[in-house]
Amino acid sequence: MEAIKSALDFSDFPRTDMFIAGVVSVFLVCFPIFPHSSFAMATMIQFLMFSLYGMGWNTIGGYGGQVDLGKAQYVGIGAYTAAVMLTRWNVPFWVSMPMGMFFAVCWSFIIGYPLFRLKGHYFAIATIATSLVLKDLFEVWDFVGAARGLEISPIKYSPPDFLRLIFKQDVYYYYIILGFFFLGILYVNWFRKSRLGFQLRSIKDNEDVARSLGINVHWAKVKTYAIATAFVSMVGSFHACYIKNIEPEDTMSLDLSILIALMAMLGGAGSLWGPIIGAGVLIPMKSYLKEWLGARAGLVGIDLIIYAIIIMLVSAVEPRGIWGIVERVRGRKAR
Amino acid sequence: MSLLEVRNVSKYFGGLKANDNISFNLEKGELVGLIGPNGAGKTTLFNCISGLHPVSSGEIFFDGENITKLKAHEVARRGLARTFQVYAASGDLSVEENVMVGCFMRTRSRAIARARASEILRDLKLQALSHYLVSELPVAAQKKVTMATALGSEPKLLLLDEVAAGLNPNEIEEIMAAIGHVHRDLGITVMLIEHVMELVMKVSQRVIVLDYGKKIADGKPEAIARDPQVIRAYLGERFVREHVREAK
Repeated sequence: MEAIKSALDFSDFPRTDMFIAGVVSVFLVCFPIFPHSSFAMATMIQFLMFSLYGMGWNTIGGYGGQVDLGKAQYVGIGAYTAAVMLTRWNVPFWVSMPMGMFFAVCWSFIIGYPLFRLKGHYFAIATIATSLVLKDLFEVWDFVGAARGLEISPIKYSPPDFLRLIFKQDVYYYYIILGFFFLGILYVNWFRKSRLGFQLRSIKDNEDVARSLGINVHWAKVKTYAIATAFVSMVGSFHACYIKNIEPEDTMSLDLSILIALMAMLGGAGSLWGPIIGAGVLIPMKSYLKEWLGARAGLVGIDLIIYAIIIMLVSAVEPRGIWGIVERVRGRKAR
Repeated sequence: MSLLEVRNVSKYFGGLKANDNISFNLEKGELVGLIGPNGAGKTTLFNCISGLHPVSSGEIFFDGENITKLKAHEVARRGLARTFQVYAASGDLSVEENVMVGCFMRTRSRAIARARASEILRDLKLQALSHYLVSELPVAAQKKVTMATALGSEPKLLLLDEVAAGLNPNEIEEIMAAIGHVHRDLGITVMLIEHVMELVMKVSQRVIVLDYGKKIADGKPEAIARDPQVIRAYLGERFVREHVREAK
């Protein structure tokens, strides 16, 4: 009960923040009513998905300060669990998604337990390595389609299929991911004020101090890593049903891992709104840049250059990202 | 039974003997000072007791239990808290939130942690600062916040590492009052590392002196101040002239 109350309690934010959040929420709920292109709709779904990826990353990477560059492996586990179970055994999404989360969390314990013996850059590099190894394994594993990947053919089902998440119109996908998005915000709002959230913020600052306050530093990190993983895997499963065509190269690539971390850092690591702001800035920019500069002007790879510039700007101007700038102007702390 | 029993503890860093065969006991309710020149091994000893450093040899008992092999967080959960010399407190968290981190050792409930934290802050006269970030506070207040955070974990024994370093005389008075409150009113056993002799000699019931990793003296403050070995190693003739005579 206390947890639900805490999740719904945003009272430590100023009124203006809550007003803006309310306006944005109303816009998100009403967006499909307005006339829009299918490209805009796809971009909005991407934005919601990446906000959720970022929220997951933010628990361990932002509040905990453990820079994780291997989140794509868990996107992959979530996506493949949903796709394999659906195509082979006709298992509905609402069963396969929790299964995917379960597998991903198990894998996160196997990976996280030894990896959290490492600190700082060493940890970041190790997460990249494990993610790439898993991707390579999937590329040669015939059961999951190897490098060709898996295709969910919508012809076999009769959309709209709410159990298997097979729809013809994107608007269904939009509202489902929007539901996850709001639940995600409530969860992180609870998390940041929970015992684990406090412990993690203490760990980020000084691990010896955290230990002397009775915090099992290693276990707190492993637990939070599992929470982040569950988020990412859930969205991965959604991704499989939405895109309907997954392969290791796009669900488990290093690009994806970096993009997830980058967005959260750009928006503001260690704050509730940060990952959403980051996704809100970066996803439309990425889509439109790819469309205009990449496809029309032939400037392939321009998005990578932009990422590099963002990394440099964030580290040079304000390590706490866009939200950090907002808070600095207002003279308040990250929330 | 002693609350803390340190038996023949040694700590080597390579060839350096930071702690060399140190033994002492702390009784329940005592307030003991730990002094010695820089590099004497005071903080290392704290690190060994609180489980941050594994000891090279020797044993440590807390409340009758052998805690030598326990990890730092396990030691803390048994009721042994400490503060740190350099570190102030988590800069990202407000004063109240910092203290709550300590309180969360004993409870899962945010409401209980919060109530405990505001109680402690009131006791230490920090309640006016509770919504500031720790990084915004002056050093004296930061030091008190680290004490408050440690108190949040409801310890039986509190190890204070140089809480008065860098403070002005008024602030030292304040910190002394806070230590007195912890010891007298809360009944917590206290051991403090301090270079501010006025403070140590005044508040301590007993003083232990380290030099080059060895315990060279252990006794009442007045006796320590007259001990020729301690004077040579640490206090210096001037301190004795100015303070010991005065006391007479």
